[in-house]
Amino acid sequence: MNERIPVDLDALRARLAEEHGPRLWRSLEELANVPEVLRYVEAEFPDIVQAGTIDRRTLLRLMSASLAFGGLAACDSGGSSAGAPLLSQSRNMPGYTPGVPLAIATSLDLNGYGRGVLVKAQEGRPIKIEGNPLHPASLGATDVFAQAEVLSLYDPDRSRAPVQNGVARTWEELTRFIRPVRNELVVNEGRGLHILMPPTSSPTINRLTALAAQLFPNARWHLYSPVDEDNRRAATAAVFGRPLDLVYDLAQADVIVTLGGDLFAQEPGHVRYAADYQTRRRAQDRPLPRLVTIETCPSLVGARADERLALRPRDIEPFVRALASALEIGGSPSSDPHPAASRLADDLRRAGSHGLVVAGREQPPQVHALALAINAHLGAFGTTIRAIEPVRPATGEMEDIGALGEAMAAGRVSRLLVLGSNPVYAAPADLDFAALVRRVPLSVHLGYHRDETAMACHWHVPEKHPLESWGDLRAFDGTAGIRQPAVMPLSPGLGVEEFLGLMIGQTVEGQDLVKATWRETWGGAFEERWRRVLEDGVVENSTFQPVDVAPRADWAVAMAAPAPSAGIDIVFAPDPSVWDGRYANNGWLQELPKPLTKQVWGNAALMAPETAELFGLATGDVIDVAVSGRTLRVPVWVLPGHAKEALTLTLGYGRPHAGRIGSDIGFNAYALRKAGQRWATQGIIRAAGERIALISTQHHHALNGEDIVRISSPDQAEVTPDRETPSFYPEWPYQDHAWGMAIDLDACIGCNACVIACQAENNIAVVGPEEVARGREMHWLRVDRYYAGDPAAPKTYFQPVPCMHCEKAPCEVVCPVNATVHSSEGLNDMVYNRCIGTRTCSNNCPYKVRRFNFLEYQGTDFSAAADVFNPQVTVRSRGVMEKCTYCVHRIGAARADARIDDRRLRDGEVATACQQACPTQAIVFGDVNDPGSAVSRLKSSPRNYALLGPLNTQPRTTYLSRVEPAVSREAADAREKE
Amino acid sequence: MAGRAQILTSPVADVPLARSFGWAWWIALLTSGALVLLLGYTLVTVTILGVGVWGVNIPFVWGFDLINYAWWIGIANGASLFAASLVLRRHDLRTAVNRFAEGVAFFAVICAGIFPIFHLGRPWLFYWVFPYPATFQVWPQFRSTLTWDFWAISTHAIVTSLLWYVGLIPDLATLRDRARNRNVKRIYGVFALGWRGSIRHWAYHQRAYRLVAILVLPLILIMQSTVAFEFAVTLVPDWHETRQPLHFVATGLAQGLSIVLLVAVLLRWALRLERFIDEGDVDLLGRLVLASALVSGYLYLDEIAAAVLADPLTRQATFARMTGDYAGFYWAAIVYSVLIPQLFWLRVARQSTIAGIFVGLSIGIGVWLDRFSIIIGGLQTDHLPSIWRSYTPTLPEWGLFLGTIGLFASLILLFIRFLPVVSMFETRHDEHLEKSG
Repeated sequence: MNERIPVDLDALRARLAEEHGPRLWRSLEELANVPEVLRYVEAEFPDIVQAGTIDRRTLLRLMSASLAFGGLAACDSGGSSAGAPLLSQSRNMPGYTPGVPLAIATSLDLNGYGRGVLVKAQEGRPIKIEGNPLHPASLGATDVFAQAEVLSLYDPDRSRAPVQNGVARTWEELTRFIRPVRNELVVNEGRGLHILMPPTSSPTINRLTALAAQLFPNARWHLYSPVDEDNRRAATAAVFGRPLDLVYDLAQADVIVTLGGDLFAQEPGHVRYAADYQTRRRAQDRPLPRLVTIETCPSLVGARADERLALRPRDIEPFVRALASALEIGGSPSSDPHPAASRLADDLRRAGSHGLVVAGREQPPQVHALALAINAHLGAFGTTIRAIEPVRPATGEMEDIGALGEAMAAGRVSRLLVLGSNPVYAAPADLDFAALVRRVPLSVHLGYHRDETAMACHWHVPEKHPLESWGDLRAFDGTAGIRQPAVMPLSPGLGVEEFLGLMIGQTVEGQDLVKATWRETWGGAFEERWRRVLEDGVVENSTFQPVDVAPRADWAVAMAAPAPSAGIDIVFAPDPSVWDGRYANNGWLQELPKPLTKQVWGNAALMAPETAELFGLATGDVIDVAVSGRTLRVPVWVLPGHAKEALTLTLGYGRPHAGRIGSDIGFNAYALRKAGQRWATQGIIRAAGERIALISTQHHHALNGEDIVRISSPDQAEVTPDRETPSFYPEWPYQDHAWGMAIDLDACIGCNACVIACQAENNIAVVGPEEVARGREMHWLRVDRYYAGDPAAPKTYFQPVPCMHCEKAPCEVVCPVNATVHSSEGLNDMVYNRCIGTRTCSNNCPYKVRRFNFLEYQGTDFSAAADVFNPQVTVRSRGVMEKCTYCVHRIGAARADARIDDRRLRDGEVATACQQACPTQAIVFGDVNDPGSAVSRLKSSPRNYALLGPLNTQPRTTYLSRVEPAVSREAADAREKE
Repeated sequence: MAGRAQILTSPVADVPLARSFGWAWWIALLTSGALVLLLGYTLVTVTILGVGVWGVNIPFVWGFDLINYAWWIGIANGASLFAASLVLRRHDLRTAVNRFAEGVAFFAVICAGIFPIFHLGRPWLFYWVFPYPATFQVWPQFRSTLTWDFWAISTHAIVTSLLWYVGLIPDLATLRDRARNRNVKRIYGVFALGWRGSIRHWAYHQRAYRLVAILVLPLILIMQSTVAFEFAVTLVPDWHETRQPLHFVATGLAQGLSIVLLVAVLLRWALRLERFIDEGDVDLLGRLVLASALVSGYLYLDEIAAAVLADPLTRQATFARMTGDYAGFYWAAIVYSVLIPQLFWLRVARQSTIAGIFVGLSIGIGVWLDRFSIIIGGLQTDHLPSIWRSYTPTLPEWGLFLGTIGLFASLILLFIRFLPVVSMFETRHDEHLEKSG
């Protein structure tokens, strides 16, 4: 329409002249209701003219219809599970009230073993993970990894789309590419196909693997996990004739000897073991159990042990041999037996079937075999230990990664499938997996992140998070649990089950695959049972029954130990924060102070003070570690209690492609790991003449006086009472509830579960390495670690320190604006929006539990995604002080429930996040006004004391002293001589 | 008589009324002005980003903010206590040094006043410490030393500025009368409050001046003690001591006197005011500085004695301050604020400009180090060893410190440019006394 329509002024005047009276006109064109203008309108907006006039009703009808359809369009989930009813869905749930979080029972994987958890989901959004009280690996408690899993779910770096050679592809493109490949493999029965996956206890995955092996008989399957159980399996195979798993019952044990490993932090079932040990300690009718630890690197179990012996890896085997021969078990006695061995043998002999010897996974098969033989000799099988059929296939039972390496080197691998693992990063260095993988004609990686392996493979397929997908897992004792999604998939992906289902041409619906597995097992009445299992999270009566075992006569012959080579002993260990590296991109775990070093955002080579002195090193000095030609530059951490002339390197750091949080932190210890010597090796160290500032949250470790961590003995439980101190301020009567907490230092193992639980519950910011280095970490609850005694063999104490909620709170009187005040139930409340940030409250807090937002810590690269925030807890802005609230929102929620039912709050109804996570129930919270409450009972214990009691702050959080058997002078002298 | 008085005080009065003031003044003003810009920059940064730009952490929640605050308050207090006592005692020395001693006090209060506001996490809410009728009916917490501090510093600012201003009124009138430029005349006229020099005016003026001076005396003790209370009332072992207020008052007095001495010798030298600030005046100031340094020394001895007699926790904390990571600050504080001033036993040193600058600066530095040692070193060994850490100041903190020095210098420079640095009416009064005597 280029033709301009002239406005005919004369015509207009003429029309106006025709009108009678004044006429209001809006525009020249309206005025000119002339055919020219109408023609103009028709040419410009033909629709309007053709449609005729639209009346108001029609218009509104059309508008409302478009709005309604727009709303419907938004209902499409877009995910692959659309249409499948999810139990987490907020709609269609009987008894579901919007705003009240749902608990979804599921299982989480650690190293192939399941831990039962309850996922708290708010409006379909998981925000917190608690333990499942019905699950044997949890009993309601959790470990740090389970707690942090919910943050990984919202990891902004998770893989979101398939990638081919670095280019993002659509799912259709992936399907188009993979279909002919699969068809070709079906035809040639999988020739040249190699599949690498981590060993898992999942019945569904193992069923699908078996089905796939039938469909592709020529394919070869490889299992690899950086943290494997191979040595234990090898030992059970040698001693009992077949590979078995071991389950310990610490509640029955009177004398426990651990050989390396960490029973309370690393073994499958560690949460349960910690709980069982504490149950045993609490048993009133029996004397305290005796826990003896022989290890190279200090561990949580070592910190808790009554007696601890630090030995180099090469010295542990002779020691156990001496212990065995002192118990008159076959095998050649070592020439120079350690003097402690015979004493330990006496202890074990006295305990009889209530004795237990546990070997850690990094110990050589010989040590495991000796431990088994000792247990069998003591008659412990059936009381403190039981052997069960392997819960997950060991890496050795299919082919291992070494065989894959050989096949790749020989060019026999034409199709490589890597399912849910990261071998390019974590494979033994001498395999040179990264180079080999690039020689494979077609490699496909299924993983949660676009990690190192994804970069090396041709195709990368996004994996679903365990909280988004269906599956099943068996616990350390064989008990099965169903893994059900707690959230609609946040981005499209496939689970390992679904990928295998796709491979064998079955459904890709994870739920159908898992159901099929259990339908086979259960047979009839499936749906009802299925529903009950989903509610409980545990399959009833699925625990593996113990098998009868007897050591073969000739086991000792088969187990000759190789002679160690020269050099310093090097031990590899999974990291307490990032495990084998899979949690590297999790900010909560990166910023979690490691239990013993309190190091954050990195790892270090741990060594004894004597070794450091020998080499002239200090914490932060950099050394070159050389192991058969490979060198690694690592900073040193001098760790009291470490074995002399040995070095511990933790795995999981130095990842080049972990994500925005975890990339390039620390060093990669896998670079020194050899296929044959995965746990212990020998090497040479040399000072590199550099220093690195290592970040730690605790710099001083010696106990300052005896009052901080108090110790009592079983015979004399009383701690010295503090003398009464006068106060200017009158006592305040609390009519109703008065909340308080008791922390049992005898139960605390220092596992950090409470710290992460608190962080997850209370939206505590991750501040990043620079800020922690400045001393500004935000954890409301910290676990202080103190050493006492000789630095070579110190006693280790852990002390969780939340806010003390002092009755006479020193922080309150110094705040100029009343931003921190006492509540009617005795809580020391922090009013964030009243705080102006003078920080004087922190100055006056003798416990230093207050945390200040020095900068804006939300919305940084390190901060958690907003989705994971607990809506019940304020997100704090910069410039305000914050601290532990005793989970005041949980108290409020419980109070509301009680009020609806028109009753008083019952004891145990309010559990703080730290209390709920604690494996050993070291933290107890409740009403101190109620003399019958659990916390009141603990507080009336003679072991109860207030931290810094003489300051007369009258803290509501009190501690129960650690109990240590009084060591007689002669026994102490005897040990001194050893 | 008018003619004679004019001759007497014209070197003083000519300065504010001169059209130009020479290049040296401009260079000095530009330098200090640049530091004021730096101050502005650091204050804007800290307001936008938060106090995290400083080296503060848990447990060292206070760093340069409180160190500098305590330091400037010390200068303000020392200087105004000195000025007020001279006024009250009608001491001869007041003629020479009162005006700029009052000025030094007032400008130091301005510098100090910046810190309590900008050290807050949310500085825009500073007025919450004031008991205004808020709709949510929350009042300040009157048990808090920070609330006391708010009242103390606002009272201090008012009284110090009054002391300075009341003393200025007759001289402002003189300037008004002598100014040739109409606008300048008007400006001085407004501030002179219609002073006509009547005998009634003089009588009222003398009463008002002395009244304000009396107000200063208790205030000084209160102000410094309140700053000290911020530390003394806490449970931190090294801070929780009754001797803390005395320490702050005494070292603050030494510091105030030393800065007055510093400014006196600088002005005397730069403006050639030897006639008004004569050798006797400087000598007397030097003696006072020496005496106050001796009192500081006594207090350091007292600190050691008190630590020895104190409970083990306090003893440990105090000795940790003397021997720990920040021990250098403690010992340097003693050297600078007690030992170096001993030079003033020599008359030559007391009357020397160089020595005056040297000792004046030395005490200023020494007391700053002392505040650092108390605020940082004192926190080193708190109750729980698990939270023993360290503190390192950051560049923005140094910027803040230098910035307030720049602000102080700028204010002094503007003061000597636009106002009489020596009290003209007191000088005339002296001359009359001499003549009649």
